[in-house]
Amino acid sequence: MISCQNFRANVPTRTPEVLEHLRKCDACLEYAVSVDPDNFFRAIGGEELEPPGGIDAFTADVMAQVRLREAEGSVARRVLVAPRRLAAAAAVVVAIGAGWVAYENRQNVGPALSRSAPAESRRYVLTTKPVVETYQSQNATIVEVPSEGKNDVQVVMIFDDSLPADL
Amino acid sequence: MAAELRLMIPTKESVEPDDRQLVRTIRDGDGEAFEHLVRRKTSKVYSLCYRIIGNAEDAKDIAQLVFIKLWENLEKYDPAYAFDTWLYRIVTNVAIDFMRNKQSRENAVNSNLRLVKTSTDAEQGVIVQRKEIEQVFNAVSSVLSPKQKTIFVMREMDDLPSSEIAKILGCRESTVRNHLFNARKLMQQQLKKRFPEYSRLWEERT
Repeated sequence: MISCQNFRANVPTRTPEVLEHLRKCDACLEYAVSVDPDNFFRAIGGEELEPPGGIDAFTADVMAQVRLREAEGSVARRVLVAPRRLAAAAAVVVAIGAGWVAYENRQNVGPALSRSAPAESRRYVLTTKPVVETYQSQNATIVEVPSEGKNDVQVVMIFDDSLPADL
Repeated sequence: MAAELRLMIPTKESVEPDDRQLVRTIRDGDGEAFEHLVRRKTSKVYSLCYRIIGNAEDAKDIAQLVFIKLWENLEKYDPAYAFDTWLYRIVTNVAIDFMRNKQSRENAVNSNLRLVKTSTDAEQGVIVQRKEIEQVFNAVSSVLSPKQKTIFVMREMDDLPSSEIAKILGCRESTVRNHLFNARKLMQQQLKKRFPEYSRLWEERT
């Protein structure tokens, strides 16, 4: 490092020697700033710093991430190769599916009539009819069907326009 | 005879590959060469990140990201250009992106903060501590744009010539000088406003 005297004589310049002195000598700092205000912040530069934990730990972290990305990259490459395989597999699936549909259609052509009946019956949907729990009316006509014996069901018919049609 | 022997013994310089050779070896698939390159450039990259960002942990994360980007883009490096210029370009891009995101988050919070100066007395002459300057710099440089700060750091702390900074940032040298001029002006205003005890040093000459 150059001497303080040498530094003070050369401080307006920015040679590596002057900068080195500026960054190391506290005694000359104020003088350097008075000559050139930019030396104020210039004084904190120069030195090469180490990351927290040191260079070895830092390098190990970087390499671990690089390896991880490398592994991800190889998976990605595999995925990029896979579309061809996927396309082939999809073609096979489509072919099998189309064959099955064609086979089913051929089966349906012959016994169409015999098959249609149960198919029709399956279409019926059971629904719950509306329930009337209480009923009061002035205009209803109630017809009671006389029962024939003990086991016969008691039938009561109510005729009233205000009741739901499908009751 | 002794001179001949000396010629046969490889010196450290002859064993140590330069940056371009290392890149070539990495491209040939040598993972250890990349580790070597990371080890060689860590201090350089981390120092620049730290000065731009002003926070050790963030700087470490950004420096790691720089090396990952370097590894991902190594194929794009043109050996016709200096490796450090290319590396610095990655550093500045990543750091500026980080700063832009950070600035938008923190602008509102930081604008009213003022560093409390403890160990010096403006009236009795300033005994400036370097750690304090670092703190003052972090405080006053918060008004700079990420690009202005990056340029200022590269010029004043990393001692890079304007022409080199222009190459790194892919702009004209006059643009670099313009950014530097504005950065100095803005920081001087901030220094006057927030640290009058230090700005006295500047005003004495200006």
